[in-house]
Amino acid sequence: MLGLGLDTPGTWLLPRPFSIGWRSERGLIGILLRVFGRGTRALSALTPGETALVLGPLGTEFEAAEGRTTECVAGGVGLAPFVFLAAEEIAAGRPVRLVYGERDAEAVFDTDLLRELTDIDAEVFTEDGSRGTRGRVTAGLDPAADSVLCACGPTPMLAALARFAVEHDRDLQVSVEEHMGCGIGTCQGCVVRSSAGRWVKACVEGPVFRATDLDWGAP
Amino acid sequence: MTGDRATSPVMSQRLFGADIHSPVFLASGTCGYGQEYADLIPLDDIGGIFTKAVSVEPRAGNPPHRVAETPGGMINAIGLENVGLDRFIQDKLSWLREHLTRAHVFVNVVGRTRDDYAAVVAGLDPHDGFLGYEINVSCPNVKGGTLFGTDETALADLVARLRKETDRPLIIKLTPNVSDVGVFARICEEEGADGLSAINTFPGMLVDTRSRRPVIGNRSGGVSGPAILPMGVYATWRARQVTEIPIIGIGGIRDGDDAVQYILAGAALVQVGTASFVDPDAAVTTHAGIEAYLRAHGVATLAELVGTLDDGL
Repeated sequence: MLGLGLDTPGTWLLPRPFSIGWRSERGLIGILLRVFGRGTRALSALTPGETALVLGPLGTEFEAAEGRTTECVAGGVGLAPFVFLAAEEIAAGRPVRLVYGERDAEAVFDTDLLRELTDIDAEVFTEDGSRGTRGRVTAGLDPAADSVLCACGPTPMLAALARFAVEHDRDLQVSVEEHMGCGIGTCQGCVVRSSAGRWVKACVEGPVFRATDLDWGAP
Repeated sequence: MTGDRATSPVMSQRLFGADIHSPVFLASGTCGYGQEYADLIPLDDIGGIFTKAVSVEPRAGNPPHRVAETPGGMINAIGLENVGLDRFIQDKLSWLREHLTRAHVFVNVVGRTRDDYAAVVAGLDPHDGFLGYEINVSCPNVKGGTLFGTDETALADLVARLRKETDRPLIIKLTPNVSDVGVFARICEEEGADGLSAINTFPGMLVDTRSRRPVIGNRSGGVSGPAILPMGVYATWRARQVTEIPIIGIGGIRDGDDAVQYILAGAALVQVGTASFVDPDAAVTTHAGIEAYLRAHGVATLAELVGTLDDGL
């Protein structure tokens, strides 16, 4: 959770959940955020030397498997966790593929910076074809590949991938997003529906779930 | 313990038959059953906690979104999700009993009927590990359809019934959703309540203008946070005018100054809620802020500050 704390006069901001974007050898961490509303605007306005309040790391993480390629499937701001995951996996000498979808070219993250951070090239898909391949990320996946599928993005994208995974008998881990209050399981605000019909907390039981553990509703 | 004890202000108060060493508690619904916060803040350094609500039966809670940010606060409709009485006793109360030494526990109680509330209180009463009850009366009364806390007769009957079930401290958490909170405060006192929490969340709604739907899955929810601080201070002051039992001030407290406003208005204790989400240390810094206020103003004991508002009346 990343916020501004209580000490900034005139500011009231509930902390927001973010992935760790990258880490440096000096022990710094980076957070990748897109300015979307007032919260991300306030956080992005921080200048060097100002203080942010970080609570973390929290929750579950993607799990790669030895000897298998990790296929990261990112939609929009769902790119954030994969910058870190891809960099860590590549550094450990394990193969990674990054399939990254956006609405249009304008929304696509700086791919040069992405390469610098992860050491691989993202395969870009846009819905309107203005950048990379035209179409959705699901078009970039080989149903028969023996890889670990990890996805983060809008719920309709995750739901489509969940159906793809069931259809082709593939392992899929998804990182879900829900409004969060505390980040540590106390407020019970950030629930998603499990396949067992239970509300599960995205902050501590997630945010990364096996896709088969969640209820994706009717297609 | 640091500093000169002789000149350190006395933060401890004798209330509800107990020595309460700090006036600052964590508010119900913002600290779970204590366990989740134990790694983050020293719970024994504050007065204690008001637990997440406990009902007779486990409750699944509402569909998402359950929380959202509002100007100066947040709105929530969790739906009183909780593990139910039996598991609370088995898993949660036992943890609290084993892990807290100085911090006091009040169990927040909800129900759909008077019998529901009474069953929770009767079920908990023989167990150790908590000091008393905080009764959430912002629940719909199955019989009448109104909230217990907004219906004078339903509230009086409920408090009278619970008074028969327990000798432990019985605190009623007032709802602000009434024309005069003083009337309801009086009813609680007359029916034998030992204290009042002022105040619960305000009913509210947020709309997603793109989808034209309510943001909150339950459509409406309770608004908390700094935006409601003046309403909470007012409710505390109003209840203080018409009752003599201890008041626990709650609503929008972020720091010592916010807490002192409640204390001057008549609260002996305070609860920090939503602010803990923004900074888990909020309750600890609030305690330090109250102590600093006493020191700066040459007040020897917290107890002598309570209710000393110069309101010209």
